[in-house]
Amino acid sequence: MSYNVVGRSIIRADAKEKVTGAAIYIDDLRFPRTLYLKVLRAGVPHAQIKSIDTTEAESIEGVYKIISRNTKRVEKTLLYGTCIFDQPPIAFDKIRHAGEVVAAVIAESEKKALEAVKKIKVELVELPFVLDPIEATSSKAPLIHKRNGEYKHLSTFIPIPKSNIFYKYHLKKGDHENVFQEAAVIVEDEFEYPLMNHAAIEPHGAVAHWDHTGELHIWSSSQAPFVVREVLADMFKLSMNKIQVNVPFLGGGFGGKSDYTIEPLLALCARYVPGYYLKFRLTRKEVFIGTVLGRGLKGRMKIGAKQDGIFVGLEAQLYFSDGAYADTSCNVVLAAGHNCAGPYYFPNCSLQSFGVYTNTPPVGAMRGYGHPEGQFMIERLIEQLALKLEINSREIRMKNFLKPGDTNSLGQKITTDNGDIRECFEKMIKVLEVDPLPEKDDRYIYGRGIAALVKSPVQAANASSNVFLKFNEDLTVNISTGGTEMGQGCLTVLAQIAAESLKVSVEKIRINYEINSQLTPYEWQTVASMTTMRVGNAIIAACDKAITQFKNNAALVFNCDFDDLVYDGRTVSYKDESIPLENLVLGYQYEDGHTVGDPVLAIGSSVVRDVTLPNLETGQYQPYEWTFGAQGCDISIEKATGRIRVLHFVTALDIGKVINPETVIGQITGGVLMGIGAAVKEKILFDEYGIMKTTNLKRYQIPTIFDMPDKFTCILVENIQPNGPFGARPMAEHPIIGVPPAILNAFQYATGISLTKLPVTPEKVLECLKERS
Amino acid sequence: MEVNLVVNGRKYTLTVDPKDSLLSILREKLNLTGTKNGCNQGHCGACTVVLNGKAVKSCLIRPKKLEGGNVITIEGISPQSPDDKLHPIQEAFIKATAVQCGFCTPGYIMELYALYERNPNASEQEIKSALGEHLCRCTGYKPIFDAALLAQELLKSK
Ligand code: FES
Ligand code: FES
Repeated sequence: MSYNVVGRSIIRADAKEKVTGAAIYIDDLRFPRTLYLKVLRAGVPHAQIKSIDTTEAESIEGVYKIISRNTKRVEKTLLYGTCIFDQPPIAFDKIRHAGEVVAAVIAESEKKALEAVKKIKVELVELPFVLDPIEATSSKAPLIHKRNGEYKHLSTFIPIPKSNIFYKYHLKKGDHENVFQEAAVIVEDEFEYPLMNHAAIEPHGAVAHWDHTGELHIWSSSQAPFVVREVLADMFKLSMNKIQVNVPFLGGGFGGKSDYTIEPLLALCARYVPGYYLKFRLTRKEVFIGTVLGRGLKGRMKIGAKQDGIFVGLEAQLYFSDGAYADTSCNVVLAAGHNCAGPYYFPNCSLQSFGVYTNTPPVGAMRGYGHPEGQFMIERLIEQLALKLEINSREIRMKNFLKPGDTNSLGQKITTDNGDIRECFEKMIKVLEVDPLPEKDDRYIYGRGIAALVKSPVQAANASSNVFLKFNEDLTVNISTGGTEMGQGCLTVLAQIAAESLKVSVEKIRINYEINSQLTPYEWQTVASMTTMRVGNAIIAACDKAITQFKNNAALVFNCDFDDLVYDGRTVSYKDESIPLENLVLGYQYEDGHTVGDPVLAIGSSVVRDVTLPNLETGQYQPYEWTFGAQGCDISIEKATGRIRVLHFVTALDIGKVINPETVIGQITGGVLMGIGAAVKEKILFDEYGIMKTTNLKRYQIPTIFDMPDKFTCILVENIQPNGPFGARPMAEHPIIGVPPAILNAFQYATGISLTKLPVTPEKVLECLKERS
Repeated sequence: MEVNLVVNGRKYTLTVDPKDSLLSILREKLNLTGTKNGCNQGHCGACTVVLNGKAVKSCLIRPKKLEGGNVITIEGISPQSPDDKLHPIQEAFIKATAVQCGFCTPGYIMELYALYERNPNASEQEIKSALGEHLCRCTGYKPIFDAALLAQELLKSK
């Protein structure tokens, strides 16, 4: 199939605005009558509130209002959520993490608001706290939510009352009670993927405004404007057509701006100053302590195999430290539970995944969504199995990869439409092996490691994307979507999809990035790497309808059968006659002025089909499509400093038809670096009092340019996904998944030491090297 | 306190709080929002502007260092009239796909602007260490490094 614009690396639609500093992000918006919000955070991880005194703070000039549990209409019942409704916008009786908001000050400036925050007096009765998810499941652990089990929740997420476990997921496949019956060998280990921060370079911000008709208008750095709308509508019992959620450009998201973060609190506060625009922008520290974190896994895994390396069973227990509120982590727990089997066939599985309340900030989506955690475990453990069986780990992987006809852990049948894991794996290895691994020298030892990966989008079973398409009189096109541009390049890729579908040049297409929930059609949310696929399909549907409308108009003029008409992007023709689209776009006008037909305006939808909810007994369900991939690397380990450097990193992903190669490669290089951060640098740390220590970008170290591999290779395998737009598959989160296991596998290759806890910092490496000698 | 300075070729006399930062003066007083606030504590480089010929993190600069100063921001090197073209560094960032979310971009461009003004022949090592002052969470740095090399080439062939 040959295309005009699909498959080409055209220039990003938003590039000029961004290189000139003209692109508007949340903090760049300016409003009339603006007030500012600053908050007092608890400062202790677990406590009962005794009293809050705001009298002195209120007397400061320039302070408009202070909101706390003492404020009229702040009620215990204001709990919000989408899966488990357990979170208050502001602390009512209890503090469950140190960043929890106790009081919020509205003032004429941030300085005044801060001055007032310092004058608020709070009396707390501190309680014992717990940060570790396994400790938190013990009967001796402090109970963080007395009402666990009583909160309103979706039926999928089953809590264990009187414990800190808000969700237990158990996936059973085959003989789940005797998983290892046929195993000749069993390997097992314990693993840790720490709490992390998304560290988008743009901090979160939002502006809220209640007008005098009772409408709520909000601007937010959100990946999920329609989730924000849903939550606010429920919280304030407001009809959805009276809520306007606007989203400007996002300075990165990575899941940290998905679902909701600061919007419920801000909307609550703004209600006390109707007519004003209330602005709330987080400091970098507040991004760490006052939004959501990611990951936070501790777990055990066991693989059983036959002597020839064929897998017979998999058992795992995953415990997620999900922080003070459960809502945003429920589906991560689910995804990690079934995806920890990786891209392999296991006849028998018993996989348990626990969402556990702890006294940290709430945990939510983070690039990869449960997949990096579970697949870190299995990709590490396969190396141990290989050693035990004395079979090359590559061979073991090749023998066990899912193939068409196999059922994955969920009982879902794999087909050729899912792409080809073997092809990815073999191509990756071939490229990796072109350069021989250097021999060890005085300064360095070297290692080579590989990993395979699989990911499915974890999305609501009724998730949908919808677009409005408007043909203008000059044949340019505007398309409105609720998909947010957060850097991934959706404006560009979606324009390519539209241009190809309409057979027009891409310059004619403008994807409207200005999201306004009152004007923009419903979009579930921009997560799960689904924008190219789901919004892309909605755009194709809209384009098809627009073409039909052009033809309908022409059919009236030619007085012919619809099926005899041909649309080519410039004209609609019937036999050897044709009418230019210009003359059809508003309907057709005859010379005497009278008209037939209608203007071309189309809608398009793409609704997820055939995704089911997890069976409460077996945990099995039908998820969406899958993307397979494989990653590998060469690393050097500096003996004196313990520093791990990546020399060459290879990623092969079967992403179906590539719409824009450079955009894909950008996602891969970015994802790999984020993975390197997880492997060797990033971890949220707490002190002995349960207070987070890593609250800035110096202490919480994300990769810098000095962590960039010397060489990147990206292999784009293009086995078509029939459901995808032009055959494309989701791919944006995926490049992060295999990075930590590949690096730690390389470390094992180099040193013989098997590490299972992330990150492997230079100190850790030095410790290992010392022990070894 | 009062401070006199030139920003993007225009003279200003501003009343500021001595504790304000150049970043907040640019963004809040002059509405030059192209300069970004990523951390306000000198760690990310998103707020980088050129002050008296040197790239600085504007969030760390207090007014007393600004008296008589000359500041160039991203707005200052962008097209000023309909006939102006993008600056070659901006061109290079577009060509090398070094822009994703774009939040770090103005900071990087100003860093390189100062570097190449001072030393058009900066070595790869010097370029890398200038870029090392910045964080980007999206691109994986490779495209930014490529853009920096391309920008140097474009500037030389001008
Ligand atoms: S905002 Fe100045 S360095 Fe981050
Ligand atoms: S492009 Fe997003 S931080 Fe650099």
